[in-house]
Amino acid sequence: MTDRRRINGPPSGTSPPVFASSLSSKVFPAKRKRAPDELRKIFLKTGLTPSASGSAYLELEPSTPTAAHKSLATKAPALKLTCTVHGPRPLPRSAPFSPQLSLSTRIKFAPFAARQRKGYVPDAGERDLAAHLETALRGVLIGERWPKSGVDVVVTVLEGGEDALWNRGQSSDGGRTGGWGMMSILSGCITVASAAIIDAGIDCIDVVTGGVAAIVRQPTAPPQVFIDPCPADQEEIYATCVVGYLQTRDEITELWTKGNVTLSIDLGFEHLLDQAVEAAVAARLVLIEAIKESTEIKVQTSRIGHPKNAAS
Amino acid sequence: MTLPTPPQPLTFPALTFAKLAPRPFLTAHLTSPSGPLRPSGRLPSQPRAPTCNAGSLTHANGSAVVRCGDTAAVCGVRAEILKVDDVAGYEGREVEDGGDEDGDEDGEEDEEERRSEEREPKRRRNDRDDLARLMLLVPNIELATGCSPAHLPGGPPSVLAQTLTQRVMRLLLTGDMIGLEPLRIWFRPTEGAAGATGDERIGGDGGEMEARRAGDEDGIAKAEVKAFWVLYIDVLFISLDGNAFDAAWFAILAALRDTLLPRAWWDADREMVLCSDEVAEAGRLVVRDVLVPLSFGVFEGEGMGVGEEGREEGKGRWVLVDMDGFEEGLCREEGTVVVGEGGRVVRIEKSGGLGVGVGEMTGLVELAVKRREEWMRVLGML
Repeated sequence: MTDRRRINGPPSGTSPPVFASSLSSKVFPAKRKRAPDELRKIFLKTGLTPSASGSAYLELEPSTPTAAHKSLATKAPALKLTCTVHGPRPLPRSAPFSPQLSLSTRIKFAPFAARQRKGYVPDAGERDLAAHLETALRGVLIGERWPKSGVDVVVTVLEGGEDALWNRGQSSDGGRTGGWGMMSILSGCITVASAAIIDAGIDCIDVVTGGVAAIVRQPTAPPQVFIDPCPADQEEIYATCVVGYLQTRDEITELWTKGNVTLSIDLGFEHLLDQAVEAAVAARLVLIEAIKESTEIKVQTSRIGHPKNAAS
Repeated sequence: MTLPTPPQPLTFPALTFAKLAPRPFLTAHLTSPSGPLRPSGRLPSQPRAPTCNAGSLTHANGSAVVRCGDTAAVCGVRAEILKVDDVAGYEGREVEDGGDEDGDEDGEEDEEERRSEEREPKRRRNDRDDLARLMLLVPNIELATGCSPAHLPGGPPSVLAQTLTQRVMRLLLTGDMIGLEPLRIWFRPTEGAAGATGDERIGGDGGEMEARRAGDEDGIAKAEVKAFWVLYIDVLFISLDGNAFDAAWFAILAALRDTLLPRAWWDADREMVLCSDEVAEAGRLVVRDVLVPLSFGVFEGEGMGVGEEGREEGKGRWVLVDMDGFEEGLCREEGTVVVGEGGRVVRIEKSGGLGVGVGEMTGLVELAVKRREEWMRVLGML
């Protein structure tokens, strides 16, 4: 199934580079320097794509600064997401009648987003994430106000959390830790999409933000719940929980848990969920701040009559 | 413009006018008494100022984010390995002496008598053929990121995206920007043993290069190309407001200049290519020339009719450089000039009309040379 509309490279395929150091059994230990209830720094900005109705960019800093690294193999990735919102706009005439705003979400990884090069054709993981994102957003939009219209939410993952470092990627460890990175990405997607929807001026019942928490194995102590686990921290994770949370209404629009959750009190599902909600509440502060900032700029430019291009 | 404004029934905001009657709107701007000025406030020959931020992506060997006005693109260069054993029908060229087996009229004897500088163009041509044949450069441009309402995901790449990709590919190959040598991964028997252990070989790079060079000239050590780096060059548009080609190319150029290739060698025991993860040992990809495109469009004013003073308005033809999305929608005649070092014209593309003659084209080439200086300043080369 060669894609004739793109340039595919050598027909025999290529392989990613293998670092000599990864063949030795040297394993870098887990190194989370943040406190259990401390989030990574969030950078959020709206209005990156002027031609879209709304847009936003979110970046989560890596726990350890990249500049300090001397090795190509252990560079800590950040999480970088852009989101554009197009609409609400009329559905095509051929579409069946819809009394509510019809929401379509898409998440696409850039080919250079993760350690493994991704293709351009959407894969199952991306579609899965998009479905989760749709659930999270559908609960906040006041859809009845836009009958017969549609809105497109497109998230591009420029750099995604990674499940394991090079050193572990080759080892047997790689398979077991698979998939946790997706959970952090979903949490980021919810926050960035929420910001873009607000930037687009679509009515919402509240501001939804994403939060993630994980039960992490400790080398010497009993397992502990960490909020905002970063895959580059090399933690060994038992379970992860993502929520899309509305603070003022105290509602959850999206909940996704994966892994083994025990029934004990300090490690149980309730506690994990509470911590994920904590993370979402913290992200909300940043989101509100970013919205305020961009709204002020908007008001100012409309006052002085910004000579904006007429391109639509 | 969302704030409530007092109702003014007989005037429209500029935005409305531009949407209702784009052509007269642009004509009115270009024929204004204070001189031709575009709606964006630029002169017809004034491109948007670019900004560039290189090296921000972790998983790419080289990356750059480029913004020109409201057009923004991210480019990531990713290097992967192609083993020559996997290439069907691969025949190794004798790299050292520059001879080729493609049946040129020059014999082996003549070849040896030639000076190296005479052989240089031929070697470059061979390299270029190999780059194209082995498909070592894989550019792709993705517009379906919601970068503008016209480009939503969920379908095959649009015609524009395909065209852009092909144009970029052609310019990469014909522009001779990247040599083959940095992309070759060698097997050197003398160092094979050291390579296998991996960890002990630190800081031997310089001597090793010497050894190989000496080996090449004597023809004693049988250094052999075992693999190639393949550069996947992916450009994603974050925001699109006209002139996608220039922005994409600038992003590619900046990302290629930022590209760091790890030191790699063929490990004979494992029969695979191994790389060193030391940043200090990795080599920066050499980009031979900074090729700078300048895209333009020709706008033909019409539709203003006879003005109030009786003179005919709106007749004229303007060459607009670095168009934004609004202007692109109004120009049928478009083109691109690409210049390299010293004002060398590398490529001229033009289609859609007869508005630009030799005189205008000369002017555009001069503008492109100026644009090149601006880009080099942004890239920190001046």
